[in-house]
Amino acid sequence: MALSLTASKVSGGRQGQKFLSWVGLHAVAIALAIGFIAPILFIILTALMSDQQALTKDLWPTSWHWENFATVFEKAPLLQYFFNSLLYAGLATVFMLISSVPVAYALSRMKWRGRNTMFYLVIVAMMLPPQVVAVPMYVVWAQLGLTGTLWPLIIPNLFGDAFSIFLLRQFLITIPQSYSDSARVDGASEFGVLCRIILPMARPGIAAAALFSFLNTWNDYFGPILYTGENTGNWTLSLGLASFRSVHQVQWNLTMAATLLVMAPVILLFFFAQKQFIEGIKFSGVKG
Amino acid sequence: MKKASNFLGLGLVIALATTGCGGVGASKPTGAAPPPSDDQKVTLTVWSGFADRELDALQTVLDKFHSAHPNITIKSEGSQDDDKITQAIRGGNAPDLAISFTTDNIGQFCSSGSFQDLKPYLERDKVDLGKIPEATKDYTQFNGTRCAMPLLADVYGLYYNKAMFDAAGLTSPPKTMSELSDYARKLTQFNPDGSIKVAGFVPTPAFYENTIQTLAPQFGAKWQTPDGKSALSSDPGWKEMLKWQKDLTDFFGADKLTKFTAQSGQEYSADNDFQAGKIAMIMDGEYRTAFADREAKDLKYATAPFPVADSKPELYGTAYTTGTIAGIPKGAQNAGASWELLKYLTTDADALVSLSNSLKNVPTSTDALASPKLESTEQFKTFLDLFHGGKLANSPASPNGGAYLKIAQDFALKYVAGDSTDLDSGLQEVDKHIDDSAQLGK
Amino acid sequence: MSATTMPTRPAPPASTRTSPSGSAGVKHRRKLTVLAFMSPWIVGLTLFFLYPLLATSYYSLTNFDLISDPQWTGFSNYVFMFTKDPLMWKAIGNTAWLTVVITVGRVGFGLLAAMVLVKIKRGAGVFRTLFYLPALAPPVAASLAFVFILNPSTGPLNQFLGVFGIEGPLWFNDPAFAKPALSVMALWTSGTIIVILLASLLDVPGELYEAASLDGANAWHQFRHITLPSIAPVLMFSIVNSIIVGLQFFTEAVVAGSVASGSTATAGSSLTIGYPDNSTLTFPMWLYEQGFHQYHMGYASAMAIVLFAVSAVFTVILVRRMRSAGIGEEE
Repeated sequence: MALSLTASKVSGGRQGQKFLSWVGLHAVAIALAIGFIAPILFIILTALMSDQQALTKDLWPTSWHWENFATVFEKAPLLQYFFNSLLYAGLATVFMLISSVPVAYALSRMKWRGRNTMFYLVIVAMMLPPQVVAVPMYVVWAQLGLTGTLWPLIIPNLFGDAFSIFLLRQFLITIPQSYSDSARVDGASEFGVLCRIILPMARPGIAAAALFSFLNTWNDYFGPILYTGENTGNWTLSLGLASFRSVHQVQWNLTMAATLLVMAPVILLFFFAQKQFIEGIKFSGVKG
Repeated sequence: MKKASNFLGLGLVIALATTGCGGVGASKPTGAAPPPSDDQKVTLTVWSGFADRELDALQTVLDKFHSAHPNITIKSEGSQDDDKITQAIRGGNAPDLAISFTTDNIGQFCSSGSFQDLKPYLERDKVDLGKIPEATKDYTQFNGTRCAMPLLADVYGLYYNKAMFDAAGLTSPPKTMSELSDYARKLTQFNPDGSIKVAGFVPTPAFYENTIQTLAPQFGAKWQTPDGKSALSSDPGWKEMLKWQKDLTDFFGADKLTKFTAQSGQEYSADNDFQAGKIAMIMDGEYRTAFADREAKDLKYATAPFPVADSKPELYGTAYTTGTIAGIPKGAQNAGASWELLKYLTTDADALVSLSNSLKNVPTSTDALASPKLESTEQFKTFLDLFHGGKLANSPASPNGGAYLKIAQDFALKYVAGDSTDLDSGLQEVDKHIDDSAQLGK
Repeated sequence: MSATTMPTRPAPPASTRTSPSGSAGVKHRRKLTVLAFMSPWIVGLTLFFLYPLLATSYYSLTNFDLISDPQWTGFSNYVFMFTKDPLMWKAIGNTAWLTVVITVGRVGFGLLAAMVLVKIKRGAGVFRTLFYLPALAPPVAASLAFVFILNPSTGPLNQFLGVFGIEGPLWFNDPAFAKPALSVMALWTSGTIIVILLASLLDVPGELYEAASLDGANAWHQFRHITLPSIAPVLMFSIVNSIIVGLQFFTEAVVAGSVASGSTATAGSSLTIGYPDNSTLTFPMWLYEQGFHQYHMGYASAMAIVLFAVSAVFTVILVRRMRSAGIGEEE
């Protein structure tokens, strides 16, 4: 987080040259920032336009139509989609935590034969494109009568999610071994060590894993279209939004309003948990 | 704690697994299932592609059925396309009755058995198929297996904006493709920056209803040779059609036309370009009259048979027809009750007339067509006449569903946009692709 | 599955370590504990990884439509795939194109953006937030937004280009520009890579730069000999991960194609996938279409095996790289 403390460590060079490079750097940064933010601004402006104006070249609304945000709820059962997304992302995340934390613990803080192999298997599973196993899994879920529902996407989380295990393991491994060792000397069981020593210390890591699990399931499209495509009653926001314009015969202004509404929860989540997000990303990568 | 939750979770999975068993591969129906007895309560799920106003119209007819059969309750779900219907059947969650908007997949429905063979029912109840017009009888069966019944038919023709015709001094609808092009050029208006303001006619394949299957009959183009091979390179009609589309596209400029269609209003909304006065002539089905009369009250428009190829003037009066079809999916819980509803919807003249009057679709039984209760407007009458005229054409059913349509349409789009110049070798390649992909799954 | 993964440097060795050996009973208990902790994953690996892999291999040698039982056909699905399928090579080509361009684009652009951010002192946090925010956008939402923004006639980007007298391309409506349009969108959502690369740049010890500049090394030399080697592992993993993401490319192409086509069919419908002219038809999309619209599930399984083989190559590279870096090994 200590970004502001870092800078180019290059010393020397004249003041003027330094100033020029300062201006150049900031100009590039500002240009990039505009590039990143402009699309969101266009979405917002279009969402507030009238039907007719959304189809024209105007970028600025001539009249402001805040009611568009209400209208989208009449056009499509967005609340139902929202609830379905929440069910999927929420349960998947809870299930993932229940199953993956002990696995990550065993992979990072206990020594046993075959641990490395198991860890590499986690990596392999993490890298597996979901389309590879789609056919047989679909057949299995269809035989269980669960296609058309979100359960085929939620239930597997009870058995560990590879990315979450990886992320949690990366975090747990940074907690000095001495903490658990001293607890063990005091006669604590591994379960006791996990619950009393590691869990409290691993809170940021667990929060990051939960956030990413929630984000990935909330944004998922392939899973829901595969299993619930046939059943609009179980559609998630991603699915509903993808077909919003065509199925509900609406215009771009409403489509953009719906797009914003789908983005909003994720962006809100980010502003509430920005630190966990950024730390989590770094953990999935750099820290060790 | 954690471990306990794990076992809880496992228990949940096992419970879910055991209770939900037996979706796929539900027992194959043999013969006709009997209708439910009067005291047997049954709930039927009906899926259709209808939405909004059209879904309400269906509901009215379903309500009538319910009042005649109080023990059968019907749950109607709209906005279901063929992909969803197919997926539900394969996944073992089939509705009791499926109403599909296209006939593209009839081959797949009938040959795979995902729609049940209706023969035992038709024989048991002695349904007179003679009351169904030939063309619609064709597109509801595949290789002798009748797995669907026609619900209502769609017939395609020309819609034109009368105010624009008057302003351009045009008095009668075009009858040949070159006339259509001439009219389109006269009716087109450009903005000062060169972009299209009003398009006379948009020849782009896949734009609104100008799919290649709707246009092909106007050129007499046939999909298949008598031995069932793809015929796009051997039937000269295709070349004539694509060249005509490309010529008119070049008049606008392919890029300008794409920019124009990229800002078109959604087809089934009030912003439809024809209804909004941004296009002077379109090809569309008879149902457009209902949309136009309701959503564009000020629009002065007329309808006519769609023009035909210059080389085949005798084809005038030809129309592409397709329609809404209904069938009983495999795995339907109450096939007997489903059949009662299917029979009512597709053979009861009053039901068909009622649907036709509200949806403005062509009814698909001779009784209903002759019914005095059938309402018609001047614009709608064109389509009834086309349907009666006997020059109806349909695309062939294939066990591969609409795969061949996509291959052909993809090429048409590419050629018309100017991305492929060699028409002959292009069409030969299309034939090869269509024939090749038909081999999969054999 | 789409998250980024990076290498880690091994954790510092524990300061105090009691001998793990104990009585046989304690050892046995420990084994049971490991088994209990690992049990969800062992079951999961079997049910959702090993079983489906075996089953896919079997299905790939059959004709299977989910209505009748699978019929053994030997290798005919594979033969059809490489000799007859009219769109197979197109789908493979598109996936290869997107994988290469998106990987190079995201990593290159991410590195550039990170190198700018690392030098900014004030407001760096705000910039980082702005750069990262789009990465959170649900892919479906991002795709819809980009189809609108890249609308050839009314879209703001082409209007912006028009200000400079540039006639903007047709983007999602032109086979030649649909994939570049998808790539532009991929850059927009590359915030994760920026954050990761930024973090690794910040970890490069400042003394190295000081020493180098005392030796008179110019900026390029510093980048080449200090920055690059320091962040090499992270870069390597960004690349492998981008490749894997590229091989799975699905959602954006499905949604953008169907929305840009203007069709009234549900997104992902057979008629709109790949629009325009199959230029956005990726390998996973074709697999999905064959398996779950055409119900050639045996054929889709054969395609899945090919996808698995290709992604396995990159996964093996990743795992070997991690092994040589000592990640996952006993500390």
